[in-house]
Amino acid sequence: MSTTDDQQARSCVSCGINIAGTNAAAFKCPDCGAQIYRCAKCRKQSNLYECPDCEFTGP
Amino acid sequence: MTDDNASQEGLDAAEDEIDEEPAEGPGPAADPEEDVEPADEQSVDAEAAEAEADAEPEPEEDTGPTLDDDVMSDEEADLLIPVEDYLGAGVHIGTQQKTNDMERFIHRVRTDGLYVLDVSKTDGRIRTAADFLSNYDPEQILVTSSRQYGRFPAEKFAEAVGARARTGRFIPGTLTNPKYDGYIEPDVVVVTDPIGDAQAVKEAITVGIPVIAMCDSNNQVSNVDLVVPTNNKGRKALSVVYWLLANEVLDRRGAEPSYSLEDFESGV
Repeated sequence: MSTTDDQQARSCVSCGINIAGTNAAAFKCPDCGAQIYRCAKCRKQSNLYECPDCEFTGP
Repeated sequence: MTDDNASQEGLDAAEDEIDEEPAEGPGPAADPEEDVEPADEQSVDAEAAEAEADAEPEPEEDTGPTLDDDVMSDEEADLLIPVEDYLGAGVHIGTQQKTNDMERFIHRVRTDGLYVLDVSKTDGRIRTAADFLSNYDPEQILVTSSRQYGRFPAEKFAEAVGARARTGRFIPGTLTNPKYDGYIEPDVVVVTDPIGDAQAVKEAITVGIPVIAMCDSNNQVSNVDLVVPTNNKGRKALSVVYWLLANEVLDRRGAEPSYSLEDFESGV
């Protein structure tokens, strides 16, 4: 269960895919500090991301 | 076909996007009311001459350096500096091209085709970027600028907040080649222009660290994690933005901002 929870926690906030590889980014929400993961594809395609806590929309 | 046309990235503003600026009126001399009274030609001529005399001073009032007043969607926004200072530095001036990525930061398009960035969003994003940077150790912040006008402000910003700066040509391998003497491992990268600093962005992606970028209306935000919409081509604009960002970062840390705008303006 803990592994599943970890995988859910490390999923891209834009597309939901599990984060893998070094090209993905993990950072704290610029507004509220919640952890945000972005996968490499969503970063490259400049897909919008939304903080699950404060609804900050980036990039 | 219509969908394709609608989705095409417009290099030119659509006609319905262009805000009509107050057109200069024909002036009292061309007022049709004067032609309505054909009673006496001389009196009509005298009136027309008076009207011309009255009309002459009006354009002179408008000839001074006027600033755009329509640059914000939120007129009551509480800005870091007065909006006149933003406008004086040209922070809101975009380019004649726009990208879909930057469309949400664009307020309007001028009649000369230049897109105008929303100053309130620029202001908000400077605060957001400061919040973001305050999460990191100062030494783990890397600022890059290959653009000439951004070099001095970027170096000054790095000095003010204790970050590292790489200005001029970004040596490939700076973030990825441990054998290179100048190899560093920052936690976050701030770039002045995603186009000019493409190598820095590319290496930041390779090592998986977030990227903050100053983006103009013609930039794409691919591989950027936080956009600060601003004019990234003007000397004064970059000075103002880096100065505000430095002050905000210092403010978040509880330090007293001791730098003035003049400190960020180089003599270039």
